[in-house]
Amino acid sequence: MKMLSLAIALSTVLSATLGANTAQANPARDAIVAAFAAQAKAENPSFAGFSAAAGNTLFNSTHSGGKPDTPSCTSCHGTTPFATGETRAGKVIEPMAVSKNPGRYTDTEKVDKWFFRNCRSVLGRECTAQEKGDYLTYMISQ
Amino acid sequence: MPDTEIKDHKVKVWDLPTRIFHWSLVALVMIGLITGFLSPEWWMGVHLWAGYGTVLLVIFRLVWGIFGSEYSRLETFTFTPREVIAHIREVFFLRPTHYIGHNPAGALMIFALIFILVGITLSGLLVLGGEENQGPLAGAANYQVGDLAAGIHSTLTVILMALIVFHVFGVFTEIRLSGENLIKSMIDGYKRVPDSIKPPTHRDARPLAAITAMTGFAMISGSLLWAFSTMPPSGLLKMTENEDFQTECGDCHEVYHPSLLPRASWTSMMASLDDHFGEDASLPPKTAIAITAYLSAHAAEEWDTEAANRFRNVSPEAPIQISATPYWVRKHNEVDADIFKRKGVGGKSHCKSCHQDAASGRFDDQNIKIPKE
Repeated sequence: MKMLSLAIALSTVLSATLGANTAQANPARDAIVAAFAAQAKAENPSFAGFSAAAGNTLFNSTHSGGKPDTPSCTSCHGTTPFATGETRAGKVIEPMAVSKNPGRYTDTEKVDKWFFRNCRSVLGRECTAQEKGDYLTYMISQ
Repeated sequence: MPDTEIKDHKVKVWDLPTRIFHWSLVALVMIGLITGFLSPEWWMGVHLWAGYGTVLLVIFRLVWGIFGSEYSRLETFTFTPREVIAHIREVFFLRPTHYIGHNPAGALMIFALIFILVGITLSGLLVLGGEENQGPLAGAANYQVGDLAAGIHSTLTVILMALIVFHVFGVFTEIRLSGENLIKSMIDGYKRVPDSIKPPTHRDARPLAAITAMTGFAMISGSLLWAFSTMPPSGLLKMTENEDFQTECGDCHEVYHPSLLPRASWTSMMASLDDHFGEDASLPPKTAIAITAYLSAHAAEEWDTEAANRFRNVSPEAPIQISATPYWVRKHNEVDADIFKRKGVGGKSHCKSCHQDAASGRFDDQNIKIPKE
């Protein structure tokens, strides 16, 4: 029992230290991705996990169906996940990549709010759980 | 002495303070007119100083009109209407009686100018307090009073300009008729007086009495204005910051002051966030309700600032767009379109790029500073 708690403490310290570099592990963010995975499975029984490549495509493609001023994520969010972007009204948007911005995607309400708005602005519809998960997986990998 | 040949002698008519008064007034009125009519808004500070200076000069002249030297005294150029009419008739027949100091027509002009200048400065003070919410009457005068005073201020200014034209015309007429260079007289103080005219016994100035009167007047009017100025500016709300409003709106754009649109505009904007100026800005209902309540409680109707009064009148086509309101369009028409493209400005939606006090909703003229690039 004592050994076990020591191991947990050690691994916490270790992951915190390493976390600065690998950056990707965050319980709150993991839970958000897990929730999307559960939802995706419910929406589609043949769900086979999230794909960073699909997320990359979603982020970089030009879409139709949304608002004319915002055909792509990159319309506002810089051209790469590492670049800062700018809203149409001129406010700076911090980079989307988790390595650049470790605080990203850790607040469920915020994540839901922005997916809801921006998917409708860019795609003209809400995103599927699959798309949201792909997008997060891509940004976490960056 | 060659002077014995000439049948005139020189008399010191205008004492130094009167001459300094005259040319300072010329300068301040010019500055006031230029900054009032031609200069961009941010010269307002200079306009105000010209106004305050004019008040002091007029007060000085009235005091000096009692305690100054002979020809500066108001009583020496206070004429009856009969005398004024008689003089004008004489001028008309090109044979005016000689006056050492002001002639009756000139004297009438002095009183008219002083009267108009008092009116202009007082109405200006009311515009400042009422419309701009600045100066000693910021608390005492509401926007409506200021708006009314603005009409009076500009009407009187037009009358002033007409009087100045008449004044200069009168001076040149007298120069033509008498051969006396009045402009030079107002610089060195001397006028030629025919030997046939015996000057009155000269009374010297009483500077000490004048200073005492000036000080007394300044103290009375100063403390009166100070008393007014202790009143808090009218029509400004005490507004606690709302975190939802600041973060939700401020995530995407400059946070606009709630006084910049009327309640109906804010309400309809908050009800159509799914298409917010071409973007989906939907909020969770709980947050949207809270922000709507905050905006309604602090909407333009609740304020008496110039901006709030003006922006209550929205564009019928775009009632939720501040930059489409008639007043906004009119004021910014003066601004070159290229200026909005400057990097430091960033477009019409960036109030605070130029209006340094945009966050307070005041939008004082003096706080406009346009980025150079």
